Amino acid sequence: MAKIDLSNISHTYNPLDPKPTYALNPFSMTWENGKRYAILGPSGCGKTTMLNIVSGLVRPSKGEILFDETPVTDLKTEDRNIAQVFQFPVIYNTMTVYDNLAFPLRCREFTKEKIEERVKAVSDTLNLSSFLNSPARKLTADQKQLISLGRGLVREDVAAVLMDEPLTVIDPDLKFRLRRNLKEINEQYKTTLVYVTHDQNEAMTFAENIIVMDQGEIVQVGLPKDLFEKPKTTFVGYFIGSPAMNIFHSTVSSDHEVKINDTTIKTNSNLGNLKDKNVKLGIRSEFIELAEKEKSNTVKIKLTRVEDFGNFKLLTGKMGDLVIKSKVEREKPIPDGELNLYFPPEKCCVYSDEKLV
Amino acid sequence: MSKLYTFLKYFFITFWTVFVVAPFLWAVSTSFKDFQSVNSKVTYIPWLDFEPTLEGWRVLIKSPAKGGVDIVEPYFNSIFVTCTASLISIVLGTLAAYALSRFTFKAGFVRNNDITFFFISQRIMPPIVLSIPFFIFLSTIGLLDSLLGLVVVYIVLLMPIAVWIMVDFFNRVPKELDETALIDGCNPYQAFYKVVLPNSIPGLIVAGMFCIIFGWIDFFFAFILTFTEVQLLPVKVVALNSSITPWWSLSASALVSVAPLIIVAFIVERYLSKGNLSGALK
Repeated sequence: MAKIDLSNISHTYNPLDPKPTYALNPFSMTWENGKRYAILGPSGCGKTTMLNIVSGLVRPSKGEILFDETPVTDLKTEDRNIAQVFQFPVIYNTMTVYDNLAFPLRCREFTKEKIEERVKAVSDTLNLSSFLNSPARKLTADQKQLISLGRGLVREDVAAVLMDEPLTVIDPDLKFRLRRNLKEINEQYKTTLVYVTHDQNEAMTFAENIIVMDQGEIVQVGLPKDLFEKPKTTFVGYFIGSPAMNIFHSTVSSDHEVKINDTTIKTNSNLGNLKDKNVKLGIRSEFIELAEKEKSNTVKIKLTRVEDFGNFKLLTGKMGDLVIKSKVEREKPIPDGELNLYFPPEKCCVYSDEKLV
Repeated sequence: MSKLYTFLKYFFITFWTVFVVAPFLWAVSTSFKDFQSVNSKVTYIPWLDFEPTLEGWRVLIKSPAKGGVDIVEPYFNSIFVTCTASLISIVLGTLAAYALSRFTFKAGFVRNNDITFFFISQRIMPPIVLSIPFFIFLSTIGLLDSLLGLVVVYIVLLMPIAVWIMVDFFNRVPKELDETALIDGCNPYQAFYKVVLPNSIPGLIVAGMFCIIFGWIDFFFAFILTFTEVQLLPVKVVALNSSITPWWSLSASALVSVAPLIIVAFIVERYLSKGNLSGALK
């Protein structure tokens, strides 16, 4: 358990190149002790590189890592006391389940009693108790991943447990239970958990803080609520939420208003210095409301599709060549043809150069 | 249709079994014959067709002074040279293969794959090309006609096989396995011998099998690099031949020569059939 500071970290895999491409652009960040973090981003955005830098498998091209204010940048992986779980199960095929779970403790010369106690505790949490004496290679893929996870959790004193999409191979029901277990472990032992994923639901339900990454850049760090309601960039708006945020090209018409296709939309953003500039207006489909009649901040759309998702309906409509999506309650009657949609000003986000104003 | 399929299946299995086993049975039967039984008429079954004799086998252990061809010493020489060279090749080859699989080497245009190919290219060359350099090399360091000299040459011949098989094997062991071991607290050496090596036992066995086979059956270098002091089994077996081909002792020597390989095959087969040869752990 430790506070982890990443100070001015950047990394390139081709440092000798005259124009190296960076897998991670310079960033600084602090992971507080005992918290749950999720790193979210599309494939190849640098999530795994970041984890590998923290665990010591990759030495950053620049910057410094500190565990509880102690620099560890030059420390080898085995000396960092960190746990990492990979996307696919990595087990020691030749050992039993018990020996697999005990391995990290044996390497660090824990007493036999302590090893037994910890292995029992972890195997109980992960439902592996009945397999302890079986050869690990005979287990199913999801059980094998539980072993990988167990090896990460078996040491109580680790600085952090880093997980790289660990639940990919696990079936949905068990996935849900495991995420809850991980939360409980975090609350009980105050273990710092860092969870890499490209699944936003997983990130939103698991973490207290979410780090959104894109192309080696950290685009936003925040609570799930902030990411959802106030995405700092259009990328976060697109990436978080299903369906993605509605984003329209628009022009600033006054201090608080923008125009989309001649329709004026009032926002709570201060747009004084952007007058007549081209910006983007973003609004979540969840926040768009059905309006009975035309009023201020409504747009008239031609309904093109209604999809029933069981717990809500997704309306897709067109305003000129713009596509607007809105989530409405399932019970609400949907009129055919044209309808009015209301954009609440407090939920409208304005983006200039893809960044939130 | 299914009856025809079953019939054909059993027919081919039977045919193949006979094809493989018949020469052995023929050799076993012939090894107990004498000149008369071999040359008079076609005979198959001992006691019924011909009177069995141990003469063919006795020749193999009788000293040349008593008209025999003593293959006991060459036999043990062969075992010593093959086992020593195989063991050293496997140890060195495994270490080289691990490095070639896990680290990136660059020297000019040479990359990992080129180094692996360089190893195996030793085996692509016709042996005759290597014979003169080996001869000069061994005579320079004074190891011509000695067991140690043969061990050195055999290591050169067998290590490429070990490297080639093990590189391929290690490439199929995910590098996350090594990384996990490091994270769990092993240093790189411990990660290799506590985690990667035990996972690679099937690969080691296959590499060992090939080294033993190629070492054991080599005639060419054993023939060129030894004279009187040291002799290996294949050379000695050839020495059995004379103007009248002694089929009985040749058969007996063929059987004792192939025996160690059959034992190796039985041991290896147990590992092959376990189905755990694949390196991937997913």
